[in-house]
Amino acid sequence: MDEKELHIGEHQEQDEQNPVARELHTEEFLVNMGPQHPSTHGVCRLLLTMDGEVIVKVEPYIGYLHRAIEKICENRIYNQITPFMDRFEYVSSMLADWVYALCVERIGQIEVSPRAEYLRVIFGELQRIASHLIYWGVFAMDLGAVTPFLYGLREREMIMDLFEETCGQRLTYNYIRIGGVSQDINPGFEQKCKKFTSYMCQVLEDYETLLNENPIFLSRTKNIGVAPPELSVAYGVSGPSLRASGVNWDIRKDDPYGYYEKFEFEIPQGKNYDTWDRYQARVIEMRESCKIIEQALDGLPEGDPTFKMRASFKLPEGEYYARIESSRGEMGCYIVSKGEKKPYRLKLRGSSFNNLMIIPEISKGLKIADLVAIFASYDIIMPEVDR
Amino acid sequence: MGMVKDFFSGIYNLVVGLFVTGKHLGRHAITLQYPKERWEMPERSRGVVVLLSDPETGELNCTACLLCMKACPTGAIIIDREKNPETKRWFPTKFVIDNTICAFCGLCEESCNFDAIKLTGKYEFSVFDQSELIYDMDRLAELGRDVKYTPRKKPAAKKAAEQKKPPAEGKKPDEKKEDTAEKKPEEKPDKIETNPAEKKEEKAEASDKKTEDQESRKPEEAKQGDLGLDKEEDKKESGN
Repeated sequence: MDEKELHIGEHQEQDEQNPVARELHTEEFLVNMGPQHPSTHGVCRLLLTMDGEVIVKVEPYIGYLHRAIEKICENRIYNQITPFMDRFEYVSSMLADWVYALCVERIGQIEVSPRAEYLRVIFGELQRIASHLIYWGVFAMDLGAVTPFLYGLREREMIMDLFEETCGQRLTYNYIRIGGVSQDINPGFEQKCKKFTSYMCQVLEDYETLLNENPIFLSRTKNIGVAPPELSVAYGVSGPSLRASGVNWDIRKDDPYGYYEKFEFEIPQGKNYDTWDRYQARVIEMRESCKIIEQALDGLPEGDPTFKMRASFKLPEGEYYARIESSRGEMGCYIVSKGEKKPYRLKLRGSSFNNLMIIPEISKGLKIADLVAIFASYDIIMPEVDR
Repeated sequence: MGMVKDFFSGIYNLVVGLFVTGKHLGRHAITLQYPKERWEMPERSRGVVVLLSDPETGELNCTACLLCMKACPTGAIIIDREKNPETKRWFPTKFVIDNTICAFCGLCEESCNFDAIKLTGKYEFSVFDQSELIYDMDRLAELGRDVKYTPRKKPAAKKAAEQKKPPAEGKKPDEKKEDTAEKKPEEKPDKIETNPAEKKEEKAEASDKKTEDQESRKPEEAKQGDLGLDKEEDKKESGN
């Protein structure tokens, strides 16, 4: 960081020595990137202070997608909140459903049947793959490769079909409910799911041949946007982006929820802490998710996964927090209950907010094109930032 | 030399990438020519909300118990009802679903005990004027005419009620239905007792519940309740 700043300083000194440059004085200028810029993945406005082509300062302006979801939830009874969780994080809505259900279950000490827990793991991991597929496609698209986007969405379509036949919707699932899931899987779902995971493992190899040795892709990602472990922890970065920074932290392992203790999987860790590592962490995670799904399908117990919660119920007084490992990082739900039918306060933690805040720090001294790569590599989506 | 090496390795990787692309050339297209071809929607697909009617008599299955109205998170359902003086059975006089704020979450279908409301696989309902999206009872019933559905198994409470009542008393089938509709919400909480912490408060809550259920029987009061307020909020939000 310091070297880059020194470099800018030298550049200005040279200008002052040069008589022509002294007359044509250079100064910093402002560039608005967004809120409707395609590579800001939603409506995020970045105000860039530029010195020529070099970025001096990045200021994110957020709030363009604020829908007051927390306030809406505080006016609803507990059963009615789940549909809004789908809208809180619409790229991995299944996991958003899960964190809310988990929080209410912990408050009310509601037991979940083993089959429901297994189904949650299966659908949660399918959702993680679907989310990472979008990441993979969009990341490559932002760097100028069009093919991965089409391939990624094609594979995601299969997951969407699995979701649609089970819960009836493609984006706003409303599937994971308090105490269980809304419906049992259709007969034949397990075979379809196994077919998908084996297909996915094959396709991931194709993905790697497409990008992993591409010299343009490598030069755009290697040693760009280095985020050391200390800095990442200081900014509260979580998820694959944190693991790419060399920190071994995964809530599925370190603070297990559901039945994640029962499954064997590995956690990828980065060595260079750069954009490439953040990309690679997600590709490896997709493979690990396939492993988890296969284990869960093999051990799927019999029983009734649904749970009919009564229409309106009260939770005991107190403050509670539940968190899960979402596809982007730690997703949390914090409920303050006053013993009423509605939550007194409901706070949602989206990991994208913290992941966004580190970008100004690590993108100083780089070019705008590198900023696009860094922004895409952190997998930031705006509904989670603004809520 | 470095540059030459880079050049050739670049070319090589381009060929490898093109080989992957070439492998996919022989695949079938997964897209469809939309207006000509259509996907078959799965059975559980959640699209336009319809009101189902009895295929034999053609009357609506709805008994105007207002459970769907209470379950709706966005307040998209508005029901007015009256009691038939002869059969002493509630029936809806007004049943409006506001598709502009409907979230298609399916909670209304789940709360219904009489196969009266259903989310279907229909998805093409774009209109030029927003006000056309507010469907009234006739429209909803018309949409539900051709919808096939398997009648739900009779709920346990209903069976029990039937068994208790000797056939001589059960001359008025409509009245029987009405009874179960009212019993249902009261009986459910007793069955689901997973929470030991709540058990202690159960007695205190039970009195509350009774009053709530009584409220739900009066449509005027229910409308002025929380749901009505929520709906106004939603309208403001969608307006923004």
